[in-house]
Amino acid sequence: MNGWAVRQAIRAAGEILLTVGVIGLLFVGYLIWGTGLREAAAQRALASELNQQWRRAPARGDAIDASPEQFDVPTGQPFAFIRIPAFGKQWRFTLIQGTALAQLDLSPGHVPGTQWPGQLGNFAVAGHRVTAGNPFWSLPSMKDGDLVYIETRLNDYTYRVIGKKWVAPTDLGVLDPVPGHPRQRPTRRLITLITCDPAWTGTRRVIVTGVLVAAKPR
Amino acid sequence: MYGWLWRRLPGPALARAGALALIILAAAAALWFFVFPWASVHLPIDTSGFSG
Repeated sequence: MNGWAVRQAIRAAGEILLTVGVIGLLFVGYLIWGTGLREAAAQRALASELNQQWRRAPARGDAIDASPEQFDVPTGQPFAFIRIPAFGKQWRFTLIQGTALAQLDLSPGHVPGTQWPGQLGNFAVAGHRVTAGNPFWSLPSMKDGDLVYIETRLNDYTYRVIGKKWVAPTDLGVLDPVPGHPRQRPTRRLITLITCDPAWTGTRRVIVTGVLVAAKPR
Repeated sequence: MYGWLWRRLPGPALARAGALALIILAAAAALWFFVFPWASVHLPIDTSGFSG
C-alpha cells in the first residue's frame, strides 16, 4: 500500500461523508419546509373545495338547535374547518376523512370509526405535531376552558376543553365513545384532539378532550 | 469521487462546471421529490396518525 492509494482512500471517504452530511441537512430542510409547502397547497385546494361544495348545496337549517347532519365522507375528502383561537387568530385548518400518513401529510383528519361533529360520543381528530405545517404544534399547551370551533356545512359547533393527558401510542381507548370504557353508552358529546409528544418522536401521544357547549346552524 | 467525475466530463472547465452543477441539481431534485417523501413516511418521526 503506497502513500498515493492511502491518500485516495481517505479523500474518497471524506467526500462520501461530506455528501451524506449535505443530504442529511437537505432532508431536515425538506421536513421543515418541503412538507409545509405541500400541506399549504393542499389546504388551499381543500378549503376552496369545501367552500364550493357548501355553495352548491346551500341547504340551510331552519331548526333553532343544530341542524341534523349526516356525514358520508370518502377518505381524503374535506368535511369541516377547525379553528382554535388559542393557537392564534389565523389558525384554521380543514378536516379531512382519515388519519393515515397519506392524509395527515395534507391536513388534520377525522379518525375513521369515531363519531362526527356534534354527535353523542367521541369525535376524534388527529394531526401532525411537526412537518406538514405543524398543525398541532401547540396542542400540549392547551388549557381547560380553551375553545375549539368546528364549522361544517350546516352548523357551527363549539367545544370547550375539559382535560389533557399523555398516553402510549398503543392506547386506543382514547377513541372509544366513552374514552377508556369501550362498552359504555355515551351520554356526552366529546371531541378528542390527538398528536404526538415529544415532537419528532413516536414516544407518546397528547390527548386533549373537549365537550360540546354550543351548536347552532350557520 | 468528485475528482473522478470531473475527469470523466468532457469539454473545457466551464462546461464541466455547468454539467456538474446540473448533475448535482438533478440528484437533489430526485431526493427532494421522490426519496424524501418516501423516507419521511417510513421513519418514526411522528405517530399522530391512526391508519385504518
